[in-house]
Amino acid sequence: MSLLRLCALPKCLSGLILLERSVRRVSNAGHCHYFLTLRNNVERRISDPPWTSQRRHFSALIPKKEDGKKRVWEQSQLLDVLEARIQQLQSDIVLDVQHAKVQFVNASKSGRGASSGKSHKNVSGGRTELPKVGQTISKGGGQTGKGGGKDASVYKSRWMEKLIQEKTTKTKKLNLKLGIEDKPVKSRKGKLILPGTAQKNILTKAGKKTGKASKEPELAELERKTEAKAQELAEVEKLEWKLNQWAMSASPELVQDNSEARMYEGVQLSVHCYLEACVFCGDIDRAQRLLLTHHRMISRRNLLNIGLYNVMMRVWAKKGSLNQIGRMFILVEEAGLKPNLTSYCAALECMGRTPNCSPKVINRVLRQMKEDGLCVEELFRLCVFRQDERDMVLRAIHTVEPDFQPSINTVLHTCSSPLVKDFYTERADAKYPKLAFSLEELRERFSRQLSMEQASTITIHSVEAMKPVTPHMAKMRALLAEQRMVWHKALVGALRESNMILASITPKAVRLSLYPYLCLMDQKDYVDIMIQSLSNLPPSGESLHILAKELGNRVHNKFCIRMKSHNQMVDKLSHIYNEYAELLAKDSQDFDVLPRERWWKLEAEHSSGPSLLGDNTQWPHTVVVELGTYLVDLMVKHMKVNSDILNPANDRKFIPVLYHMYTFRSNKQVGFIKPHPILTQMQQDAMETTLTFDSYVMPMLCPPVPWTSAKFGAYLLTPTKMMRTVVGANQHEILLEKCQDADLHAVLDSLNQLGNAAWRINQPLLDIIISVFNDKGNEKLDIPPPNSEAPKILRYSQQDLATYSSAEKAHLKRELVKAKKKCSEMHSLRMDALYKLSIANHMRDEVFWFPHNMDFRGRTYPCPPYFNHLGSDVTRAILVFAEGKPLGPGGLKWLKIHLVNLTGLKKRSSLAGRLEYANTIMDDILDSADNPLNGKKWWQNADEPWQALACCMEIANAVRSPDPTHFISHFPVHQDGSCNGLQHYAALGRDVIGATSVNLIPCEVPQDVYSGVAQQVEEFRARDSEKGLKIAQVLEGFISRKVVKQTVMTVVYGVTRYGGRLQIEKRLKEVDDFPKEYVWDASHYLVQQVFSSLKEMFTGTREIQDWLTESARLIAKSGNTVEWVTPLGLPIIQPYHRTRTQMLKGTIQDLSLQITHDSKQKPDTVKQKNAFPPNFIHSLDSTHMMLTALYCYSAGLTFVSVHDCFWTHALTVDTMNKVCREQFVALHSQPILQELSNFLLQKYCSGLSHVCIKQRL
Amino acid sequence: MSTQASKLFVVAVRSACCHPRARPTLKQSASPCSPRVLLQRRTFSLDSLSSGPGRPQPQQARTDRASPSSALTHRNLSAVAVSVQDQSRPLGRYDFLDLGEVEENTQRAQLCRTIKRFIIDPALAKLVTHHLGPDLEDSKAVIFECNPECVCVSGPGVLTRTLLNSGAQRVVTLEGEKSFLPDLQALECLLDGQLEVVHCDFFKLDPMGRGSMRPPAMYTDKLFTDLGISEANWTDEVPVKVVGIFPQRIERSQLWKLLYVLFDRLSIYRYGRVELNMFISEKEYLKLMAKPGDMLNYRAFGALWQMACHIELLHKEPWASFVTSSKYKLAIPKSRLPNDNLCLVRMTPRKDLFSASLTPSNAATLVMMVKQCLAKRKARLVDRLNMWSPDSGPKLLKEMGMQEDVLTGHVYPEEYKQLFELVDKSQEFTQSWLYEEVLENTQKEGWI
Repeated sequence: MSLLRLCALPKCLSGLILLERSVRRVSNAGHCHYFLTLRNNVERRISDPPWTSQRRHFSALIPKKEDGKKRVWEQSQLLDVLEARIQQLQSDIVLDVQHAKVQFVNASKSGRGASSGKSHKNVSGGRTELPKVGQTISKGGGQTGKGGGKDASVYKSRWMEKLIQEKTTKTKKLNLKLGIEDKPVKSRKGKLILPGTAQKNILTKAGKKTGKASKEPELAELERKTEAKAQELAEVEKLEWKLNQWAMSASPELVQDNSEARMYEGVQLSVHCYLEACVFCGDIDRAQRLLLTHHRMISRRNLLNIGLYNVMMRVWAKKGSLNQIGRMFILVEEAGLKPNLTSYCAALECMGRTPNCSPKVINRVLRQMKEDGLCVEELFRLCVFRQDERDMVLRAIHTVEPDFQPSINTVLHTCSSPLVKDFYTERADAKYPKLAFSLEELRERFSRQLSMEQASTITIHSVEAMKPVTPHMAKMRALLAEQRMVWHKALVGALRESNMILASITPKAVRLSLYPYLCLMDQKDYVDIMIQSLSNLPPSGESLHILAKELGNRVHNKFCIRMKSHNQMVDKLSHIYNEYAELLAKDSQDFDVLPRERWWKLEAEHSSGPSLLGDNTQWPHTVVVELGTYLVDLMVKHMKVNSDILNPANDRKFIPVLYHMYTFRSNKQVGFIKPHPILTQMQQDAMETTLTFDSYVMPMLCPPVPWTSAKFGAYLLTPTKMMRTVVGANQHEILLEKCQDADLHAVLDSLNQLGNAAWRINQPLLDIIISVFNDKGNEKLDIPPPNSEAPKILRYSQQDLATYSSAEKAHLKRELVKAKKKCSEMHSLRMDALYKLSIANHMRDEVFWFPHNMDFRGRTYPCPPYFNHLGSDVTRAILVFAEGKPLGPGGLKWLKIHLVNLTGLKKRSSLAGRLEYANTIMDDILDSADNPLNGKKWWQNADEPWQALACCMEIANAVRSPDPTHFISHFPVHQDGSCNGLQHYAALGRDVIGATSVNLIPCEVPQDVYSGVAQQVEEFRARDSEKGLKIAQVLEGFISRKVVKQTVMTVVYGVTRYGGRLQIEKRLKEVDDFPKEYVWDASHYLVQQVFSSLKEMFTGTREIQDWLTESARLIAKSGNTVEWVTPLGLPIIQPYHRTRTQMLKGTIQDLSLQITHDSKQKPDTVKQKNAFPPNFIHSLDSTHMMLTALYCYSAGLTFVSVHDCFWTHALTVDTMNKVCREQFVALHSQPILQELSNFLLQKYCSGLSHVCIKQRL
Repeated sequence: MSTQASKLFVVAVRSACCHPRARPTLKQSASPCSPRVLLQRRTFSLDSLSSGPGRPQPQQARTDRASPSSALTHRNLSAVAVSVQDQSRPLGRYDFLDLGEVEENTQRAQLCRTIKRFIIDPALAKLVTHHLGPDLEDSKAVIFECNPECVCVSGPGVLTRTLLNSGAQRVVTLEGEKSFLPDLQALECLLDGQLEVVHCDFFKLDPMGRGSMRPPAMYTDKLFTDLGISEANWTDEVPVKVVGIFPQRIERSQLWKLLYVLFDRLSIYRYGRVELNMFISEKEYLKLMAKPGDMLNYRAFGALWQMACHIELLHKEPWASFVTSSKYKLAIPKSRLPNDNLCLVRMTPRKDLFSASLTPSNAATLVMMVKQCLAKRKARLVDRLNMWSPDSGPKLLKEMGMQEDVLTGHVYPEEYKQLFELVDKSQEFTQSWLYEEVLENTQKEGWI
């Protein structure tokens, strides 16, 4: 791996940046030589393709007008761009200052390929040409402006859009007074460019492009002069030629990029959702009115897209109103938009619904479609159908073409990645695992899951239900239930009333009201959601924003589920699922296809009826929050309670249950919703033992629906994203949509495989944990104690306080704060544990599944949030595989080794050593298994006590069985990566020392990188200690593996010195006898030592990290976000942008949302840069995991993962380890860095030559 | 009034007659311009000599050291003598200190590592000193100088020296920058106890963090004990005057911090009514002084400061007059409010702030109440009150003699204080959660 080669990217990029700078200041002729070195490319690039593509793009940004007008429009627009650019030029003082620097960097840049001497010559050459270039300055200035303008149109479409917006009024005027405006246009231009060429420049821009170079003799001359020099720069040439090629192929893509980005623009999304909501609640008038008002205002009309008109078309199609459809088509034409497949689909559907529709009309539509380049087949393939839409369209087509049948495309494309080629092609040996269920059972489970999701919430008994009910509790429960009835009634009334008010307000022009979102369901459904959120409210309150978001999301979820049943897709889903279950059931035939392929095929076969793919769009975040705030406001205003309800001594007043107040965090004020102490009291006393969850919180009762595309999979009805993202970030979705279907197959399949692992509860262990939980908890064992164990919050009266001295008062105050903090922490920990255990308890006799999705780097996660195998030691301990496998010859050995691993002891022993150790402590193990709470409690000292206990029990059961090799074990055995991030770095950098220390190279005993670093740090410390450094002396004997572990682990994931210090500080504080006053200094000192020892051990790592960081910095600086593709073909984009604040008006409070993912904002350079190395490594480790998952699947293994920790049955550990190693080697045999470099060059540097051309023209 | 008039006269005479004598020691480049600049600057400033009501009038100020009225004359006399005398003897407090060359000082300031603004211009320093009190040499108050401007390698702090030159009896320089200490300490040795140098950052006093306490971070009680300043009653005269520039980045949070400790009488305010004479940005000043009815700018921050202190604008100085360390560009913060100047503001805690009903122990609740009220300035006050204790709103407003529909943004700071006193007396509110809230919002109250 030649790092030299990789260096090309940063250099190229810096070139791009320089170029952009110099574009602004061409008069600064010193740079010109740089452009000239690119002469050859330029010549080549003058040919048409890129131009046309740019032109297309350019016009795509401008709403189409009649032809004559359009030209002026374009001209004036261009002028605006020019003008703005010139202003920018003039005001850019900073650039002046940087002039000298720029030149310097430039020189080194051109010296990249040639020797330094040559580059020097080159620079001077550039200088001698200075006067000549000077002659063209005036012209050059104009061109710069133009080039810049176009540059903006390609790369900075955002900028352009802004300009368009700003100048809409102006352009409107221009449109009207065409003739009058023409003159000033020219004269203004004259200021910038020599009058003669000016007009031509503009006109040729709109028209032909060729022959442009010949018009500029000076530049042509310069070209000739530099020809010789260019030859010397052969390598640069080669690279740039490559770039050129890429640029050619990339340019159409760019166009697409922008049009798509526009499609997702905020306004469109909110209008779209508004229309959908209106339509769903049957308020068609409102929807139509809104669309028309938008349509009538030119400024608003420009924001609309075809999708919005389609929404209305579909409504009219349902009504069978051909007239209205016709009118919509006219509107679409008026708006300068093109009808797409969905529009025609709606038209045809409408015709299908109209009895006796004349074939002539239908024929006309079909003809029109053909003219627009759309084909009927595509219509069936790409459109999303609801209800009976598909049949209606077919009926319409059948009237003219009675024999038409949409073809079913059953050809499967396979993933192109060489890593999975074997997996997809060599299926003969594969023995895909089956589930231990009969078809009947699976179908029955499906129907249970379906009814649970249809109900959208589920109420379960908490584990505290086992406690006896005292009379007081009973009384309080009754009281609370009664109050809930009262609140329910009050809220329903209030909601109805406020809806009436909202409905009567005539909407102000284009402002979107919340009204349709409040009519999606019955009032009582909304109120149920509100009451539910009340019981989840922590006693210390919740910030309004979070509460509102939760409420809004619940409404949205419920709406999505309703929508699906409204679209009549449930029947079809059941039908397909029931057939799909055959693939998994043990009592049906074997298939040689993957779940995804099977599902896809079944769906294709059952194509009639509605599409399974829900097409409802995610509501914009603002709508969700606004809706939530509205509901919170209702709750605050209308939920009241009598103040004497608990204590009759109080005066009777009707007081609100919730109140809205502010807390102050640093200088920000945060709106908070707090429950009144009376409510908290009631809730605590009642100790209610039922918990209500959204249905998706529970694990699934049947195997999840396989992911067949990025949009469809996991739960049956609950909408799930394949890639979890920050709310409102859509760049990932866009990227995934653009992906070739086949490229995602490997990713989808691995997600499906992880989701198909069946689980059940380890009942004996759950019982022990619940008993500890219900008896006071145990902090050491990570079972949070109940609130009754929390420190008491003392309240001092004023008089008491007055007697204390100020120091004492300060102390008291701090104690109080601490107590309060502790209390709320304990409460949240307790609730979290309660949820987990209660869910586990509810599932105690079930077999269940965790559907999986992933984050934007490809790391996979189970979807249910509380209870899953990614959780803490406790939750991991109570989960075992539903399927049991015999231990086999090596199984018991692995169980024992696994146990030793869980204890955290014997880190430096070989596997044999660990096994031996386990054998020596068999007594302890058996004792732990038999008397977990009353025995010697050996297990309690393990690193992961609960998992260790579970393992002890499994071992005990195995050794006591007649034949351990036939003992059926459900127990998952883990295999951890040792510092996985470093492993990947070491492999990437072919770093031998590093690789040895993270066990990539076979050794006698397992290496432990943490101990290694600790040792190195200790050496540094000893040296410093001798030198007399105080802190080094203090630290003597305190440097251990544990102190440095977390920091070493996270360094590869980009932890900073600051974060590292905090980690070490935490560790040092845990050491009891370490003098507290030195903690700060010691942690500060240690983090430095850890960093420098890592630097010494992992040299390659450092270099790669630096290269990644530098590349990301340059990419971000050039105004792009960092993107890459994993070796498995998953596209990744870093969604970090500069923060934009959005204000949301609310009745209760205005909320300001900080949006950091808005792709229209500039990228956040620091974050892009710092996050790239860790994100890249994460994307690699996720790739490795997915590969392992896939190959384990074809080997018939049960496999799940917690990122870099892989689980399987004891029997199959060896196979899994083999697969894991093979895949690691296979992954790193790929030229990963080379491909990354190529990708980045292609993505970010191919524009370089674009800029150059524009420069030239 | 006659005493004031005579004071005015004294100052005038001083500025008229002392300077010529001082001049021989000033370097050429600095001296010619200084008086002129001073006169120009004067036109900007408000005339502060007519001291406000909250201003202490130390009538009985007589020091034990020497007759203060003569001190200045002595110094100025010796300024002439020094030039001819032997340099080796320790400087007395009457020796005139050389301010150094402006350009040289500027350069040194620009070498400073941390981002700061400095007072380099001798005229500006003079002006600040002048505003600090015409009775500088009479006052018993110790002058704390924080973030001393340009106390660089061998270059003396301009303000420090100007302060000393004007006869201040006791100046304590709090220097956070370790590298500057030696020179200051050298100066300290030269002077006879008039200047004390402490390695301490005024803005890092009593930090919240848990790290080891090392200079420049410090606890106030240590600082004050070391300096031999003891706790004083609230109603006593101003014991300490602080002069300096708020670091731009932490201006707001520092002002909040000071506000909290002021109401709790913690930190520096344990030692009495410490008077701040600080440069703050104009926008911050305008926010500080915003009046009820200005719904955008009238916030809890300003209301509480106005309630606690008598605030006086002494002088406005354009940003450009200050030298910044050049390594970083210190951008002038943007604001909707005018922000062209740094304002020298004097904040003297009110003598009558605490009373029987408002004590440092319940003042935190007052702070919380005002913050809650002014978080939303267009809300009705009665609603807020009702929220804390149902049905009590109308009653309280009636007692206050206010309209029922008064908005929180229309209530004066003094009225809030009264309102709180009523609330505190009322039995109904003891049950209110308002009292619990206070203790929870302590992120800003971590200072002792």
